[in-house]
Amino acid sequence: MEAADYKGKVKSSWCPGCGNHAVNTALRKAMARLGYKTHETAIVSGIGCSSRFPFFMSTYGFHSIHGRALPVAIGLKQANPKINVIAVGGDGDGLSIGGNHFIHAGRKNPNITYIMMDNEIYALTKGQCSPTSRIGTTTKCNPYAWTADRINPVLMALSFNASYVARSYSGDIQQLEELIYGGLVHKGFSFIHVISPCVQYNKVSSFEKIKELVRNLPENHDTSDRANAMKYAFAPEGLYTGVFYESIRPTYEERYQDVISKAKQIAGENYTIDDVIKQFK
Amino acid sequence: MRDIIIKITGTSGQGIISSGDILSYATARKGYYVTTYRAFPSEIRGDGKCYYTLRISEHKALTATGDIDILICLDKDTIFECINKIKPNGILIYDKDYTGEIETDRKDLIIYPIPTTSIAKELNSERSRNMVSLGIVVEVLKNLHIEEQILKDIELRYRLKPQEVIDSNKNALNAGIKYAKEQLERKDSYDKTEMKQTGAKLIMSGNEAIGLAALVSGCRFFAGYPITPATEIMEWLAKELPKFGGKMVQCEDEIAAINYALGASYAGVKSMTATSGPGFSLMQEAIGLASMAELPVVIADVQRCGPSTGVPTKTEQSDLFAAMYGTHGDCPKIVLAPMDVADCFYQTINAFNFAEQYQVPVIILSDASLGPRRECVDLIDIEKLKIVNRQKPTLKEGDIYNRYEDTQTGISPITSPGDMYGEHVITGLEHTQSNAPTPEPETHRKMTEKRFRKLETAAGQFSKAKTYGDEDASIGIISWGSTSGPVFEAIDKAHGKGIKVQALYPRTLYPLPTDWIKDFVKNKDVIIVIEANYNAQFKSTIVERCTHINRGTEVIEFLKYDGTPFTPEEILDEIEKVSQIQDEKDTIKTNKHTHF
Repeated sequence: MEAADYKGKVKSSWCPGCGNHAVNTALRKAMARLGYKTHETAIVSGIGCSSRFPFFMSTYGFHSIHGRALPVAIGLKQANPKINVIAVGGDGDGLSIGGNHFIHAGRKNPNITYIMMDNEIYALTKGQCSPTSRIGTTTKCNPYAWTADRINPVLMALSFNASYVARSYSGDIQQLEELIYGGLVHKGFSFIHVISPCVQYNKVSSFEKIKELVRNLPENHDTSDRANAMKYAFAPEGLYTGVFYESIRPTYEERYQDVISKAKQIAGENYTIDDVIKQFK
Repeated sequence: MRDIIIKITGTSGQGIISSGDILSYATARKGYYVTTYRAFPSEIRGDGKCYYTLRISEHKALTATGDIDILICLDKDTIFECINKIKPNGILIYDKDYTGEIETDRKDLIIYPIPTTSIAKELNSERSRNMVSLGIVVEVLKNLHIEEQILKDIELRYRLKPQEVIDSNKNALNAGIKYAKEQLERKDSYDKTEMKQTGAKLIMSGNEAIGLAALVSGCRFFAGYPITPATEIMEWLAKELPKFGGKMVQCEDEIAAINYALGASYAGVKSMTATSGPGFSLMQEAIGLASMAELPVVIADVQRCGPSTGVPTKTEQSDLFAAMYGTHGDCPKIVLAPMDVADCFYQTINAFNFAEQYQVPVIILSDASLGPRRECVDLIDIEKLKIVNRQKPTLKEGDIYNRYEDTQTGISPITSPGDMYGEHVITGLEHTQSNAPTPEPETHRKMTEKRFRKLETAAGQFSKAKTYGDEDASIGIISWGSTSGPVFEAIDKAHGKGIKVQALYPRTLYPLPTDWIKDFVKNKDVIIVIEANYNAQFKSTIVERCTHINRGTEVIEFLKYDGTPFTPEEILDEIEKVSQIQDEKDTIKTNKHTHF
């Protein structure tokens, strides 16, 4: 498979210059490297500009409702672990309305990849502040100043024990591809935070501005050291990119397989519906 | 005597529910019919009162309500609360060590003050007062011969507990039996009570029946969030699903639960969730998604008093509007209402069949009086059940697959991730037949019609509405769900008094089977719509939807919204009142009324 084979029939609705184009390309390239089959792959999203993603792919896709990409994706994966499941969405979708699910995804460790395209704004509704907007930002909804502090998605993922946490930005498609590839290969919940500037509604965090802020994590950063990863996630000196943290523990699906084994052991091999009904006799 | 009502009462934490459960299992397994009613507070311990009523009978009893034959009280408050509900010559059994001697005006009762606490203390197990009391009952009803079975049921219930637990329960039961045999001066005549054993049957709760039917239907994915009184469905499936390779996942909230179920359904697995009022409200948006994206899913709503947190442990039928119209937009779905425990099983089978065949969300409306209630169910013939699976397309390379193909039936064959050549994106956005999002007016109109066309296709498949009573009656009752027991019993009683009444129970409430209602109403002068809510939700639906029928028929409502289920007596009173008014050809002043 070539990266182009994963392109869907629906024409992209993203603005020219939007950061999400790069994410789409990087994901398709990473999938091509892994030889993902389109019929064995599902892209799941919620609502928002970036959540239109599944339409632009030739795989299976589920464009669900605002904030619910993760529960749909985890349910899908749990029901059929053979499917490659990739959840995608924006900062508003994943941190605001869907914030609760992000927490629990980290803790459950389903073997899925979650790519968050963070443009620090609600763009589909034409520019209101999001959980990653900077304090003091003005929009039509906050004509004087935005008054809430920002969420730090990488720190959040680390604290809720996501087992692969990385950050990249749309201006560096090569790194983006590498980090997404790493996330797809990773067994467990992989979270890739992508700073993906909005060219239409966010003049503050533009490509130029982000380019000034980003820097690679130090080469000697130990990705198995979660406390240290948190330190870099906190870093006031700039916006680190790369793999913050990586560890392996049983996935949600594997842990449930253990439950099934235990239940089957108790029930016995030839357990049937008739045996179930017997308990009511 | 062919019918006995036993009520066990006390304070939360005194083992009321477990002793009631053990007694109901034992009597059912012995071959009698048993139906129960449980009422309990939401606190685990504290001052909340627990009530467990069992009706043991030769023939299938419709309700567990009615006057009590034997009342067993483990605390003082419930004695005075329930004593006036005991039949003349009925028995009151209480723990005199715990409550002191009781004075009462009911001189017609047979009262057995038992030193229950002392007996339990002698066994070093004061907590076993409930089982000592149960022992007294077993001996009082010795001609039912349940002693041996009840010991077996104690073992079964506590089989995963340490042996001491089993022993202390058995010892307490035996001590109660021994006391009653040796020291109780019998003044009652219940020792002569005999009943025919009518052979093998099942005993289960409404919630378990829903769980069992899900399993039988091939449901292999359940996602839920604990909520009274629906949790039992989740607990039961948590135990059974993995034995069949299925999965039960507990989610972070109800929004997650239904979205997990939708993800699993998209994967091609039959999926469900179960909840009650507050959780049901949270699920509404995703129900709309299932409707729009045409994904099969089953949602059991075990209704409780609302709005908001309401009265979590008490029953109501006030979610009907929420089930029919709760979701924004024009949202095709199917709403089913089981009438009793057995019907919980069969309507859940229907729910999965409809969901899979018509690719819609199907809502099952149970309630707090039906979900936790245990009763006998006739043996189920699994082989005879029709189980429907979703229709898949046959695709080969190069085929163009339109997920939302606009067909004559409205049903478009569906593929799941893993199926070759069937790739597609599903969405809550309006979309073309080839699943591309579009705001185009003609598409929205056509696709809305396509989605609703599935309900027209489905209409022929719905379970026939159940009728009960005299066909030539001029008084009709239209009702739904768990009211069937008291309504049918009231109809029998009215018949005994020479008043003819016929009831109609549609099991599909949405889309409303207007034809059956039209047929039913034809020869009736007056229709009483009986339901447990303030707004007369079903009545207003009927009046609104069946405007084309029988303008001469008067439709009145009989409502209850105090959290307790209807009793046959209340309904009989209403029937008598209506009958009298009909006889007098007078106008009805006491009820709000509407003409068709």
